[in-house]
Amino acid sequence: MKDLHFILVLFRKEFLLEFRTRSAISGIFLYVISTLFVVYETFVKIQPNVWNTLFWIIFLFVAVNAMVKSFVREKGNSVLYYYSLLNPAYVLLAKIVYNALLLLVLSLLIWGLFIFFGDNPVKDIWLFLFILFLGSVGFSVTFTFLASLIAAGNQNATLLAVLSFPLIIPVILMLVKISAHALRLIQDTAVSGDIAILVAIDLLLCGVALILFPFIWRD
Amino acid sequence: MIEKGKIWKFTGVILLIYVILAGLLIPLKSGIESVVPAYGTAGEKLEIEVTGYNTHFKQGEKNLRAWLKWENGNAVSASEINIRDDRKLTLNFLIPGNLPEKKEVQTVTLLIDNEIDGTSVLPSAVFITAATDIITSENVRWVIPGNFSRPDHITFPFRNILGETIRNTYFHVPLWFGMMFLFLFAVINSIKYLKNGDSLYDLKAAAFTHTGIFYGLMGLVTGALWAKNTWGAYWSWDIKQNMTVVALLIYAAYFILRASFEDPEKRGRVSAAYGIFAFTTLIPLLYVIPRLTDSLHPGSGGNPAFGSQDLDNTMRMVFYPAIIGWTLLGCWISSLQFRYLNLQKIRDDQE
Repeated sequence: MKDLHFILVLFRKEFLLEFRTRSAISGIFLYVISTLFVVYETFVKIQPNVWNTLFWIIFLFVAVNAMVKSFVREKGNSVLYYYSLLNPAYVLLAKIVYNALLLLVLSLLIWGLFIFFGDNPVKDIWLFLFILFLGSVGFSVTFTFLASLIAAGNQNATLLAVLSFPLIIPVILMLVKISAHALRLIQDTAVSGDIAILVAIDLLLCGVALILFPFIWRD
Repeated sequence: MIEKGKIWKFTGVILLIYVILAGLLIPLKSGIESVVPAYGTAGEKLEIEVTGYNTHFKQGEKNLRAWLKWENGNAVSASEINIRDDRKLTLNFLIPGNLPEKKEVQTVTLLIDNEIDGTSVLPSAVFITAATDIITSENVRWVIPGNFSRPDHITFPFRNILGETIRNTYFHVPLWFGMMFLFLFAVINSIKYLKNGDSLYDLKAAAFTHTGIFYGLMGLVTGALWAKNTWGAYWSWDIKQNMTVVALLIYAAYFILRASFEDPEKRGRVSAAYGIFAFTTLIPLLYVIPRLTDSLHPGSGGNPAFGSQDLDNTMRMVFYPAIIGWTLLGCWISSLQFRYLNLQKIRDDQE
């Protein structure tokens, strides 16, 4: 119970920090609108299979931009205080949960804007929502963990993209494949197997990240 | 005498010499390269000219037999055999009027058997068109081919598409196995480093990763050459090819990460953590996703990687030593790389 409480406190801290400045949300909002504007201005009409790919690529870039900041604030001695006070894995877990929720909100935002500017090719809404959730978790785990690695060395943001894009490919390939189901682009009875594999990948990465994180934060 | 610590290096080298000699020198089993013409009609006489590969028709003239075999196992023997030389012969068949199947066009397998080569097989060698009016007066005896001879020397299997490139099995495939082992050793060293912080483990992990990437590139190159000969292009956008490039990109990022840290201790920790994380993503990348989609590689679309179709016992005798040999060689290269990195570190410490 106490552990859960710590995580909730850390989660609340993340949320409040974001809520006070609203820097991520507002910056990302502008980014999404301008990207979609360019996309619809140039494509005019988007076929469902192109829509599927575009959606995930835009989401990928949004996620990278949103996640770069996740460890920027964690500098200096106050962080050492957290880490020595609590289990460092909680700090990472709280960040992963917070980032997953942030990404879920952002993905819903992107979807909404896609519908607003064009039309909605998604046929199976519940499946698509579930995929958005799984995608947010997978992105959140990978990006948060890599951001923590990079933050250890005062590195610039481009390094995150370099490191994370190859690593995110297994997740994004599974996402595109399953979301093609939700768009009824392919008919395949094995969709539950694909979802199980995606969940397994998410859990595997999350587990490894939580095990490794306590070794990284020390200065 | 050889020092105790060096035995594994010698073992690796001896295994690789064996692999290269046996893998390149053992001849392929005899096969049938072409059949002209490749079609005939039921109830008529068929004369075909056969070109063999690695065959000894002239030498094995005495007991040479040939059949055309239908899918249900029934066959007709050649009524006349004219041997021109070791690789060329002409066969005459009397095709029965009433064929065993109901299909309009039927494919039959050509079998040629002699004492030196054993049995050479060409599936779908000849297409037989059913006769328009059924001739029953034909006096043809159906036989079941049997009493096959075994080749009198050791051979690798002959596959029509692969031909001599089947020998690449001892280079392309074991290099991938070797790469996985090297990455695994790198992960083990990374875990050791995170546990006790001895910088030697960090350097070992880096050395193993280095060699692993080199093996991956070699596997990619041998694979591309093989693909050019069998699939027709160096790069076919096959899922396994693509995933491999992604895997190598992930590991290339490992060195970008290493290069961007000044402090050796921090660099060790971060790159060890990244190395373990990267190895975890390698499992879905190379072993799960390629099996879900169609691929030109064997072992995709849910099949096991190596069935009895792909490796016979003679090939296993070379293939398994090849895996061990290439892995040991990789370890040797890594140990040299490690010593180089260690000397570099000692020099940096002195400055």
